Amino acid sequence: MSTIKPAPKTSPLYSNQRITDDDIYRNSSQFTKWSFTKDGLQKSRENIAESTKDRYTTKLQDFLSNEENTKELTDDETQALKYEFNLGISATEQLQIVTLYTQKVQAFCTKLKLPTEVTATAMSFFKKFYISFSVLDLHPKNLIFTCIFLACKSENHFISADTFASKVKQAKESILDGEFMLLQSLKFSLMVHHVFKPLHGFYLDIQSVLSGKVDKNYLGTVYENSKKRLMNSYLTDALYHFSPPHITLSSLLMEDEQLMMKYLELKFLGFDPNTPIDKLNDSQKISKEMYDKLLNSINLCKEELQKNMIPNRESAWKIDARIHYYSDPMTFIKRYRAQKAKETENSTEPDAKRQKV
Amino acid sequence: MDTGDYYSKEKKLGEGTFAIVYLGKKRPSNKINDGLPEQVAIKEIKLDLMKKQSEDVNKGDVTGIDISAIREIKYLQELRQHDNIIKLFDVYTDTTNSINLVLEFLPMDLEKLIKKKTIIFNSMDLKLIVLQMLRGVNHLHRLSIMHRDLKPANLLIGNDGMIKIADFGLARIYDDGGINAHSNMTNNVVTRWYKAPELLLGSKNYDFKIDIWSLGLIIIELLIRVPYLPGKDDADQLTLMFKVMGTPTEKDWPHVKALPNYNTNLYMYPKPNRQEWRKRFVAISDNFLDLLINMLEMSPKSRWNVIQCLESEYIREYPRPSDPMDLVALMNE
Repeated sequence: MSTIKPAPKTSPLYSNQRITDDDIYRNSSQFTKWSFTKDGLQKSRENIAESTKDRYTTKLQDFLSNEENTKELTDDETQALKYEFNLGISATEQLQIVTLYTQKVQAFCTKLKLPTEVTATAMSFFKKFYISFSVLDLHPKNLIFTCIFLACKSENHFISADTFASKVKQAKESILDGEFMLLQSLKFSLMVHHVFKPLHGFYLDIQSVLSGKVDKNYLGTVYENSKKRLMNSYLTDALYHFSPPHITLSSLLMEDEQLMMKYLELKFLGFDPNTPIDKLNDSQKISKEMYDKLLNSINLCKEELQKNMIPNRESAWKIDARIHYYSDPMTFIKRYRAQKAKETENSTEPDAKRQKV
Repeated sequence: MDTGDYYSKEKKLGEGTFAIVYLGKKRPSNKINDGLPEQVAIKEIKLDLMKKQSEDVNKGDVTGIDISAIREIKYLQELRQHDNIIKLFDVYTDTTNSINLVLEFLPMDLEKLIKKKTIIFNSMDLKLIVLQMLRGVNHLHRLSIMHRDLKPANLLIGNDGMIKIADFGLARIYDDGGINAHSNMTNNVVTRWYKAPELLLGSKNYDFKIDIWSLGLIIIELLIRVPYLPGKDDADQLTLMFKVMGTPTEKDWPHVKALPNYNTNLYMYPKPNRQEWRKRFVAISDNFLDLLINMLEMSPKSRWNVIQCLESEYIREYPRPSDPMDLVALMNE
């Protein structure tokens, strides 16, 4: 028999510590592992770009030290190759090409009629991978389906590998082979706190706070438009810098600023935000301080959401080509020669060319 | 450096389909200033094993990394801060083909404790166990996570007497029906004896209450020391449950007849009244009995949620729970 004595007051059983909603978010892997300062994120990306550049340099040296390769190269061609390889893939270029392919992830998910959250998770996985890996490690086009497949599993949307592979017309192995590396790049954290739940929450709360002041059908339109806009937030870095409710508020604000300012004012202040500070009582001062802080965050987030990193076709082509050249520098030479030939052709036969057009 | 470098795998503790659990011991070469315990459990999930198995069997689909491994990793990562949930210290890989989860080493579980008939729980020990289980489940439900496999073997006990919920291989997020209402969840969850009636009746639209049902039965098992509803198969489970808890009617449980496995030819067993419940469990307090009756309400709508359980009179009334260290002493007797 155990001794008859209750747990001492020092036992964790009696701890008065309550876990607040804020604690929960702060303990989520999204916050502990996937939130960055802008500088921190930039630094990670610069590091990847740096190592990418080193790899190009090494590759170039290896290529040029092999006489098999160099014996047929003109000085001109060697110079051009050196120039191209010296460019590496900059942090901005990698971000651009990754953003472009993240958009492709979204397009494929839409085509596969996947639920919103699976799509958003796949997009977020995709972008995260390239914070720790270079496009040289795995070409973005080879990660698309692995991301979608893992996102399906993680979000409880079952599709067997065989069905999935046949749907997207890819070899099953090519989808599964990258899974482990992807999971590793995600730091083994799969939970993504999305923006769609907060959107629904605000949608309901706006109706109650602005009861009778806002048309329900109109609010429905705002909701739908914001949902589309929020999907695009997964193309940006917003989720690394802001919490989902912040992103949602920013997005709603971009949709209808007047409506949202009214809502925020009533929700968080309850008095005119232009009231001079000396006219406010203590609790109002605290409210005002928090309100200002919130507005500041929302506006910063708005800037992030407005960034568009998708490259134009020409730059996308150039970056893509350079990734390709890395695996086989000879392809660069071939393209260079073809281009030279075309230039010569153009300059010697301008009339013929013009006629063709 | 990840924790893989801190620990050596000492001996095999158990083996599942795709995972092997080892006892991990801190390497003497490493400094002990990082707050990690001397012993851990290392759950090694073998990926090549998964592939091979699928190829050999050549039936069923290859799915890559096993879904239960994905769930376990996904949820444990988010549940690091609660005393009543098993702690994941780290995840690392030694080769390209395995994932290692470094977990708290918890040598005991509730199943072993229940089976050890020499141990006698007093009302304070019982409350200690009930309270901790409810707290753990509360944390899960608050994070919108349904465990979906609560049973004595998945409730582990630490050397400090703390109860820890483990095994998240079946867990999932509950979508509250807002935007992406999930009305198509698999009902093939929870070990049979702990399956809630809505699951047995084939509902694909259940919620957190299935965990409460399992907990209710676990509590009874603590009292009587044998499983309360040990059905031989799912059909037998349903019959047994109706015999003991009464066949649900439209009056107690609106729309129950619409559930796939509800058969109109069912024998209508009467619902036990309070007196009947009292006869079954004579030694517990009125408030404890209330808690049990409400946790085992057939209709999920009327069944208490975890907050109601935690705020119940049973938890408030005397006696206070015993000291977790008493549970340790009890285990070592």
